[in-house]
Amino acid sequence: MAPEGTKAERQTLDRFIARYGVGQNEATRAVELAVIGGDWGANGYTTLAQADVLGQVLGLEPGTRLLDLGSGRGWPGLYLAKRHGCTAVLSDLPVEALRAGAARARAEKVSGRVGSVLASARHLPFTPDSFDAIVHTDVLC
Amino acid sequence: MLRACLRLLRPAGRTAFHTIHLADGLTRAQHRRGARAGPVAVACSRPHTQLLGAAGFVDVRETDLTPEFASVTRAWMESYDAHRPELEALLGRDTFVARQAERRSQLGAIEAGLLRRSMLVASRP
Ligand SMILES: C[S@@+](CC[C@H](N)C(=O)[O-])C[C@H]1O[C@@H](n2cnc3c(N)ncnc32)[C@H](O)[C@@H]1O
Repeated sequence: MAPEGTKAERQTLDRFIARYGVGQNEATRAVELAVIGGDWGANGYTTLAQADVLGQVLGLEPGTRLLDLGSGRGWPGLYLAKRHGCTAVLSDLPVEALRAGAARARAEKVSGRVGSVLASARHLPFTPDSFDAIVHTDVLC
Repeated sequence: MLRACLRLLRPAGRTAFHTIHLADGLTRAQHRRGARAGPVAVACSRPHTQLLGAAGFVDVRETDLTPEFASVTRAWMESYDAHRPELEALLGRDTFVARQAERRSQLGAIEAGLLRRSMLVASRP
């Protein structure tokens, strides 16, 4: 993340809003499958194999409360919730990304334990001690 | 943000994340080139292991993922090229070309040893 409120930060955010606004189609899905190994709407460099390592080192299991910061469409938090049966909160700023994540959570039948919160990673609206694990991929400098 | 994460975690809770950063010990000119070629947020002041320690995390571990960073960047470029007509129709030609140019310069900076990517794992005491 760039320093708060700077031109660089606004530009970054505008870029992501524009990206998520475009949506996905057959071609983006084919590209993501080839590059990342999944089709969860990834927008960085975390491969499926690397996401699995994150799940492992975080010791995710049913009942674990996971927070994904800058989750975009839910990569990797939504995927990890599906795979490990844990609870997840996806959080990011572009609303289109969170909408796509929530739709996928419904399609995967995990929306009962996957929530979305529109928030900046700089001002997180959660109470202390609320999570067992926190993940983020390619968000923070 | 790391301090906030520490507060949100329960005692013994854990964070694990992937992050792109500049290599250590760069000259000023290399630093500038790396920062320009990477994502906007890349110009970080101190190594993450130190930042995590300063924020109060313990059991901090770093794993280098730079070789995979290079291969995944290359894969994004090649896969985009392989689907160029559909992606140009979706994104517009200018965006397609700009995105590929960014990836090319990022790959150059990784291969020149300026940009790195790591996994960090740390726990709340
Ligand atoms: C490179 S993308 C990675 C998305 C996803 N985690 C992945 O790996 O595919 C970076 C994400 O960080 C989000 N982001 C950047 N600054 C943020 C901030 N201050 N608060 C919350 N999210 C932020 C962006 O909106 C974007 O979704």
